Amino acid sequence: MHTVTLRTVGRTIRIDCEEPATRALVTATYGHMQAERAAIDLHYTVGRDAGGFFIERDGRERRAAPDDGTFLARFDEDFAIEVQKLRPELFFVHAAVLTLSDSAFMLVTESGGGKSTLCWALSHQGYRYLSDELGPIDLDLLDVHPFTRALMMKTTPPRSFYPIPAATLRSSRGWHVAAEDLPGGVGAGPTRLTAIFFLRRNPAASAPSARPIRAAEAAARLYANSLNQLAHRGDGLDAAIRITTGAACFELVTTPDLPAASSLLTTTLKGIPRDQT
Amino acid sequence: MTNIPRRRTDLNARLVQDEVVVLDRKADQVHQLNQTASFIWERCDGRSTPRDIAEQLVEAFEVDPDTAATSVTAALQQFTRLGLLESSRK
Repeated sequence: MHTVTLRTVGRTIRIDCEEPATRALVTATYGHMQAERAAIDLHYTVGRDAGGFFIERDGRERRAAPDDGTFLARFDEDFAIEVQKLRPELFFVHAAVLTLSDSAFMLVTESGGGKSTLCWALSHQGYRYLSDELGPIDLDLLDVHPFTRALMMKTTPPRSFYPIPAATLRSSRGWHVAAEDLPGGVGAGPTRLTAIFFLRRNPAASAPSARPIRAAEAAARLYANSLNQLAHRGDGLDAAIRITTGAACFELVTTPDLPAASSLLTTTLKGIPRDQT
Repeated sequence: MTNIPRRRTDLNARLVQDEVVVLDRKADQVHQLNQTASFIWERCDGRSTPRDIAEQLVEAFEVDPDTAATSVTAALQQFTRLGLLESSRK
C-alpha cells in the first residue's frame, strides 16, 4: 500500500493507493498538494481490480473506472465535491485561477470553453498558477485558495502554441500538466481576487476582444458556474454578487490565437484602476 | 379588466448597481435584467398596472409615453415567457 497525503483549502486528504500505477496517476495529478501526514479530513482508497481502476471513499461503495482518464475524472469529481463539503463557507467557482504578484484573476467558462488552454498560455507569460478547475473563494476577504491539481487539457493548444512537455502524463482524456511544470510557477497561497474574465470562444472572430461587464451580469454568469450555491445565504446569489461587486469583470472573446488573447488579457489587467486591485 | 403583473414570491432577486439579478431555483435559471427591465420588474408588485408602470417610466427615464408603453409591454412579455410572474386581474 502506498499512501499519498494531500493538503488543500486547509484540509488533509489521505489516499491509499493499492498498487504503483494508480499511485503514479495520483501523484502526477495531485503531487503539488502533497503534504506531511496529519490528522485526516477525507480518506480514499484507490487501485486496480478486474474491472479496471476503482475509487473507494470511506463508507461509500466502490466506483469503477475502465481506464486511466476516466479514473482521474471520476476521482476529481468526487474529490471536488467532498472538498466543498469540508469547507462549505467557501464559495466554489468552476474556474481557472492565476496570480500576478498579490492579485488573482479567474477565467470562467463552461467545460470545454478553453480556460485550461488559456491558463497554460498565460503561465508562459509569467502568471502563477492557482487552479484550472476550482476557485474556492473566501467571501470575507475575497481571497482565492489554491487548488493546484494538474492542469488538464483535452486537446493540444492550437497551431502548436506553447507545446506540452514530453514528460506530461497523457491519459485517455487528455494531458495532465503537473502544477510544478507550469512555466510561471505556482502561487504561494490564498490571493485577493481582483478580476474575473468570462470567456467566450469565437473561432470566427478576427481577433480576441474584451469588454467590461457590469456586476449584475457578472453575478448571473458567475452563479451559473458556481458549485455549492445552496450552502450559502440567498441560495448563493448574495455570494456571487459579493464577488462580482468586489472584482473587475470582463467578457473575453477568444480565438485560436492564444498569444493575442494572453496579450489582451494582460493589457486589460493593467487598465484596471488601482483602487479596484 | 387589466392584467396586473406580480413577481413570483418564490424567486430570489437582488438589485445590483441599478440592475436586478433574479434567481429562479425551480427552473434552475438565473437572469440579469438591464436598467429599464429592472425598473419595470421592481414595479411588478401586484398593484401597479402596465399603464401605471409606463407612466412612472416616462417620469424616471424621460421617454415619450409610446416608447414607455412599448418597453413595458416587451418587458412583461419577456417576464411572462421566462415564467417569472404570477398574475392577477382587477
